[in-house]
Amino acid sequence: MTTNNDAPHLPGVPPEAGERLGRIGEELAFVSPGEDDGLLPINHFLLDLEEMQGPGIPDAWTAGLKVARVWLDEILDGSGKFTEVSIRRLNEWHAYMSSVADSRADGRGLPAWPSDWAGAGANDVSEVVPSIVPATASGEEKELPCCLNLEEDLELLGEFHAESLELLQTIEQGVLVLESNPTDAETIHSIFRAFHTFKGGAGFLHLDAPRNLAHELETVLDLVRRSERRIDSGIINLILAGADALEHFTRAIGAQLQGMDPGSPIVVPTSEIIRRAKAAVRGETDPPSADPPGRSATDAPPTHLYPSTQAVAAPAPQPAQAQATHLPSPPVRELTGGDPAGGFVKLDTAKLDSLVDLVGELVVAQSMVVENPEVRGIESAPFVRQLRQLRRITSDLQSTAMSMRMVPVRGAFQKMSRLVRDLAAGAGKQVQLLLEGEETELDRNMVEKLGDPLVHMIRNSVDHGIETPDERIARGKPAQGTIRLSAAHQRGGIVIRLSDDGKGLDPERIRAKAVERGLIRGDADMDASEIVSLIFLPGFSTAEAVTDLSGRGVGMDVVRSNIEGLSGKIEVQSVPGEGTTFTILLPLTLAIIDGMLVGVGDDRYIIPTLSIRESFRPQPGMVSTIQGRGEVVSVRGRQTPLLRLGRYLGRPARATSLEDAIIVVVESGEAARGLVVDELLGKQEVVIKSLGQTFRHQNLLAGSAVLGDGSVGLILDVDTLVKTPTH
Amino acid sequence: MTTPTPNSNDSLAKAGRYLTFTLGAETYGLPVLNVREIIRLCPITPVPRMPGFIKGVINLRGTVIPVLDLRAKFQMPEAVYGDRACIIVVQLRNPAGGSTLIGAIVDTVEEVVQLNEPQLEPAPDFGGPPETGFILGLATLNGGVKTLLDPEKVFLTEGLLTLTPTQFAEPETTNA
Repeated sequence: MTTNNDAPHLPGVPPEAGERLGRIGEELAFVSPGEDDGLLPINHFLLDLEEMQGPGIPDAWTAGLKVARVWLDEILDGSGKFTEVSIRRLNEWHAYMSSVADSRADGRGLPAWPSDWAGAGANDVSEVVPSIVPATASGEEKELPCCLNLEEDLELLGEFHAESLELLQTIEQGVLVLESNPTDAETIHSIFRAFHTFKGGAGFLHLDAPRNLAHELETVLDLVRRSERRIDSGIINLILAGADALEHFTRAIGAQLQGMDPGSPIVVPTSEIIRRAKAAVRGETDPPSADPPGRSATDAPPTHLYPSTQAVAAPAPQPAQAQATHLPSPPVRELTGGDPAGGFVKLDTAKLDSLVDLVGELVVAQSMVVENPEVRGIESAPFVRQLRQLRRITSDLQSTAMSMRMVPVRGAFQKMSRLVRDLAAGAGKQVQLLLEGEETELDRNMVEKLGDPLVHMIRNSVDHGIETPDERIARGKPAQGTIRLSAAHQRGGIVIRLSDDGKGLDPERIRAKAVERGLIRGDADMDASEIVSLIFLPGFSTAEAVTDLSGRGVGMDVVRSNIEGLSGKIEVQSVPGEGTTFTILLPLTLAIIDGMLVGVGDDRYIIPTLSIRESFRPQPGMVSTIQGRGEVVSVRGRQTPLLRLGRYLGRPARATSLEDAIIVVVESGEAARGLVVDELLGKQEVVIKSLGQTFRHQNLLAGSAVLGDGSVGLILDVDTLVKTPTH
Repeated sequence: MTTPTPNSNDSLAKAGRYLTFTLGAETYGLPVLNVREIIRLCPITPVPRMPGFIKGVINLRGTVIPVLDLRAKFQMPEAVYGDRACIIVVQLRNPAGGSTLIGAIVDTVEEVVQLNEPQLEPAPDFGGPPETGFILGLATLNGGVKTLLDPEKVFLTEGLLTLTPTQFAEPETTNA
């Protein structure tokens, strides 16, 4: 299998295709012979893939789809069940397509078409096959120069350089082993892995020439690994030549990192080696006499085992050392910056999401095992200890996986500093931006989507909220205006607040504007806070309104829809003359929360622990009924209205009297309610899963979560519950 | 390949593969294109204060998806689910991108059949209100008639749907 550790590189194949292909891979992992589980999903994803059109889709991809279609149709039209043969084929196919998706749009680095596929299922496949192989042959004669982006990638290049030297060493050592023992599977695999890792690193740094070369060599090694090619002197020479060329690149990078000729293009001839690798893949034997190989084919002698400095545009350091020993291992580790723990890896977010999902399932599966009655019956101290260890590791794994997706809002916030400075300078105003709670972590998907609304609101704030220095001094304010941007965990969610000390919103003008635009009637009875909220209505403001509108309110409908797109809410408070505060409440979606699991009848619900003030079993006399207002519970002198959850939800509750029930006091903002439930079932950290489209019109539930036994628990929206009339 | 999503005035079923299933005595078909998978009936978490045809939600390998009761959706009499009852997981494309998974409880799942043009005919005019938009057409196969459903209309339309002409006499107000 060619697992892709590197960031996906899909210039020709649309990115969604990579995702679908991944899903097929997931499904394939679960299919078994004689079963049809997974057949429809795979068919479905394949249909998706077939629908995707676009320029630059490699022929190999299209041909691959046709092959899979033939195979799947055979299954669908035939037994409707997988067989060992069909599963093996599909797995091969998946590996092949993954590497096609991974290859370049220009045909470089396309994997070889598996020879046994032609005609494997039907005749029409073989027709599409021949067109593929020649397509890869074009454009090889030109050597691609590589330019390093030393400014941006300095650290990465350092890491890549150090890692590559290690990999090359692995390859050379491996070759020595293969020379005496050509079938050593572990060595073949380690060489394969080394080329693969090299390819990943080079691809990530956009070093196309070494990447393509490494890819070709990887393909050759893959065939060897799958026993489709035998190691012979031709292949060994090829590996050495390739490793040599890669070493030239690596050394040239090292030289530039040390400040020699930085930024100059690195050219190492690779096309000849690539040609030979392709020939090897096609099964043409490389003449063993070509040793040192390829020297005559190019004008530089790069393919020799021992590097010579002349072959690269930038001088490579320590060539003598390489010459002196068969295993060049120059001491270049200090170039990497030392700290091996401080590196970063770029990662496809889809992979991250699927990791998080899988870990979530692992946690559930783990607790299903642990909670299994038969397992619980095992009375063995070591076993119990092992289970406990399993549980601990699983839960650590989960929190690590989760934390990988959480990022501080700092990045998004700090961009605003720059924005404020630029805007203020442009508007001739003095504005300082104070940031608070930048370390608050948010799901990275949300941080990204938060950027636009924040920019919009800050722009409004600087342009229309903060007054000019003269005006401010005339009003007795400091000349410098202040915008405060804060983030905090609150109310079981995340609150982002943006406040300024500008002139505030003028309710009268907003009202007049709203009437003029036909949004409200002239005699509408609204209080000031309702009026300022009108700025969120679509059609309230238009471009012409930008300059003269009091306070702000420009394009706020867009901001609101952005926030609502994140299932959040936005509120505004404003005091004329003193400033405006926008409060964005972001929900639990995409995040994990601590939840209290409560039972009502046979149902279980989750209440975000952050919203819970306290919970207790009521004593006689604590609850009283107020005429026309429902029941209230008195706790330490505070009267809190009761909401009988079972009755409210229309689900039967078990507790017949209040004394049998538990009261959970929840609060949101200023309001609180005592929820009457049957029992508390425990606290647990849950992963919020969206309920999706079908439930978009309800506000009773904030989401759902998969519980320890694999069933679904519903997360109550406390905000809705506390606003529910209790009588 | 195109999704068989006909526009409203051209409600014609396309030739292709359909998954057939039964509700009571009737047989229905859904385009295989839209069928993500079929799972056994499993415990469903009821969602309070929702219409009766929304049975609740289930955990589909880590994704929470809603499950509809097609009998209730089509206003058919309630029945006890037998051993062969299944949940068909349907995948629907969102106009805005992405897709939605929805489960549907059916009495039995029959098979995947290839239906060709000669076997297909448009949905008949039952003479009632034009609510039959969710029927792609009818297919005759082995002497039986299968009603081919438009998955988007069936699963994304809120409220109940009316299937049989007798019920057109007393139209139910849907989408209230």
